[in-house]
Amino acid sequence: MQSIINSIIKNRNLIIYIILSLITFNSLYNSSSVHYNGIGKIATFLSGKSTFFSSSVYSYFNLENENQRLISENLKLKKIELRYNSQAFGNKSFEPNSTTYASVILNSINKSKNIIVVDKGVLDGISSEMGVITSKGVIGIVKSVTDNYASIISLLNTDLKINALLKNSSTIGSINWNGLNPKILKLDDIPLSSSLKIGDTIVTGGMSFYFPKGIPIGVIVNYDNSSLEGYYDIDVSVFNDFSSLSSLYILERTDNDEIKKLLND
Amino acid sequence: MTREFLGNSFFYSSVLLSQLLIFNHLNIFGYVSPFVYLIIFIHYKTSYNKTILIFLGFITGLIIDLSLQTYGCHTFATITICYLRNWIEKYSFGVNSNLPNAMIKGTKLINRFMFFGLIIVIHSLIYFSLIFFNIEILGSIIFNTLVNSIVTFIMIWLISQLISNK
Repeated sequence: MQSIINSIIKNRNLIIYIILSLITFNSLYNSSSVHYNGIGKIATFLSGKSTFFSSSVYSYFNLENENQRLISENLKLKKIELRYNSQAFGNKSFEPNSTTYASVILNSINKSKNIIVVDKGVLDGISSEMGVITSKGVIGIVKSVTDNYASIISLLNTDLKINALLKNSSTIGSINWNGLNPKILKLDDIPLSSSLKIGDTIVTGGMSFYFPKGIPIGVIVNYDNSSLEGYYDIDVSVFNDFSSLSSLYILERTDNDEIKKLLND
Repeated sequence: MTREFLGNSFFYSSVLLSQLLIFNHLNIFGYVSPFVYLIIFIHYKTSYNKTILIFLGFITGLIIDLSLQTYGCHTFATITICYLRNWIEKYSFGVNSNLPNAMIKGTKLINRFMFFGLIIVIHSLIYFSLIFFNIEILGSIIFNTLVNSIVTFIMIWLISQLISNK
């Protein structure tokens, strides 16, 4: 207590100066409209800056909630997009409301048969042979499911072959991976008679159990037309970066069972 | 002691009255009114109480503000130079600043020049910054500060010479 009093006595001139300055500024603020506006501007600037700082701190700690909100919003938009696509292409096989969001918990790109594991399973309405996409394009197909988890055959799996379409010319082929470069896929079965160029977009063809028509896969980066078999040898750069996957959408085709039954008959 | 107090009171009152009645209405070049009342704070002896100096500055500034309708601009400028006087003394006079009564007589001209100049320029700068209160007209603030400081400096210097010769 004594030290506080000593410190006040020692700094009495500063304290008196501050008090008298506050009295003066109060008089300026209340009496002069110029200073009223000026001080008001400074106060607004300072409160704006401090609010910006505190809101930045708050939003940093609130990022997880914000992330969840954005994911649910994205899911809603994805459903609207799928509904629009199914109406535009007359493809009624995909029920947009059954689209599910999932987070990746295990992923690999360095094997020839890469598998992705996600945190959604049977309890979330996931079953095998459902298509998996991201906002950028195709990822793969659900292979097997447990109650809470599902494994996905990635496009970077030499066993997977997906029906694909040259967006510009509507020529249908199939896309697969040769097990070498995780950024490059091979597009097969495109006859030499069809015209294509580097930069053409490849999308899903819609002729499969898994994906509706028009979901992006990649772009042509290189092709070879010297094959004797009558087909192009096309390299496709995939839109998705498989090394940094975090969130996926799982699509359900509503009439899989019906088609399979028809095929079995 | 009483005689010194009476002498100081007379000096203070006459400076304040001449500021209120003469210098406030001088308008040299049409817009310069020298702040001759700053002579009170320049001639305030170093041995006197600094806290009283700040209160003296407050009261003087308040009286000038009330007479000129400047709402506290003079008051803030004046209490600021009163508060900063310690540093200005040390900066201007160096080791001699602690010697009582050494402020005007027996000091080097350059030191006195700097002491007068610093007090006047700091006061004018604060006063005009508050009067204009707009960073966009910084040029006007600096121009007015310079012109007013020069005129005030000349006036205070001349009056100081007269007092010293007495």
